[in-house]
Amino acid sequence: MEKGQHVGMADTVLVKHPGKLISLGLGSCIGLVLYDETAKVAAMAHIMLPESRKDKDTPKPGKFADTAVPILIDMVLKAGARKERLKAKMAGGSQMFNVPGSKSGFLAVGTRNAEETEKNLKSAGIKLVASDTGGNKGRSVEFSTDDWILIVKTLGTGKQGI
Amino acid sequence: MEYTDFSPLHLDAIREVVNIGAGNAATALSDMLAQPVDMGVPRVELVSIYEVSEHFGSPEDFVAAVYTHAEGAFPCNLIFIQDEEAAQGMVDAMFISRMDTDGRDFPQEMRDSALSELGNIILSSFLNAVSRMIGSDSLSISVPGVAHDMLGAILEFVASIFAQSGELALLVNTTLKLEQEGADIKGNIMMVPDPGALEILLSKLGVL
Repeated sequence: MEKGQHVGMADTVLVKHPGKLISLGLGSCIGLVLYDETAKVAAMAHIMLPESRKDKDTPKPGKFADTAVPILIDMVLKAGARKERLKAKMAGGSQMFNVPGSKSGFLAVGTRNAEETEKNLKSAGIKLVASDTGGNKGRSVEFSTDDWILIVKTLGTGKQGI
Repeated sequence: MEYTDFSPLHLDAIREVVNIGAGNAATALSDMLAQPVDMGVPRVELVSIYEVSEHFGSPEDFVAAVYTHAEGAFPCNLIFIQDEEAAQGMVDAMFISRMDTDGRDFPQEMRDSALSELGNIILSSFLNAVSRMIGSDSLSISVPGVAHDMLGAILEFVASIFAQSGELALLVNTTLKLEQEGADIKGNIMMVPDPGALEILLSKLGVL
């Protein structure tokens, strides 16, 4: 993929137009982007787990769905976005291994990441305009402020824009 | 217990467990393929969870991985991971040892099933040795799951397991190697304990 700002695990990164956000090799994690096309800003989080532990401080709020959503909103608003214009797109949350009969519920963490992210967006009143989650393939994502399209790439099946 | 609390003694004990587990796995693989299998020195490293997905290569490297989950006294995730090309080489070696063909023209499902069986033998032999060390005969192992995907996507899952307990990952892995004409075929066994399981292991070994 082309040059852009890399968003590593649990990172939250803001770009102003012209800018590009990239996250490589998303498995069970979620790449969530919030943007305002009028203010021309976007921010991406690379979410690892559905819920933070309320008793513990989180050095990186991008780690959890319930802490990543508020921090992303805060970042784009500070950069000039207006809340009523915010839109969200996301991809990821796959289940990398399918193990019939396993008692380990953690295998489905990707599904729970997607559900919690969606729930937190909804309760914050942010419109989720596109998403590509679930399945069992890893994804790389790229979001450009040129066209506000989230490009999702998987091994074998190629690229699509959402 | 936080991973930062582990002492060199604890890490040595874990390294020894991996050494014995991997030794057993190498023997089983060698029996299966009817050829020698070398084993590398086990590596036990504490790494920030945020760096796990880039620790062993580029996130978009194409890898094959076989996963199983062990239940019982020491619940843990075991992953046999290798470059896609190496996985196909190991599958070739398995067919050659049985059928005098490398099976390159066999359907993908059949080759995947062979890969799954290879992973299963390697990981269950590893686990059996660990079970014996901790005096438990009741570690059961799940059906294996196979993935052909990006290295980063697999390791992200590993990082997420550790992320449930904190900011550090204890990466435990060792290499098995088949010597072949041309390039050697390598694969890595990773042991990823469920949250809290490492304490059980260490206390059973008498070092905690």
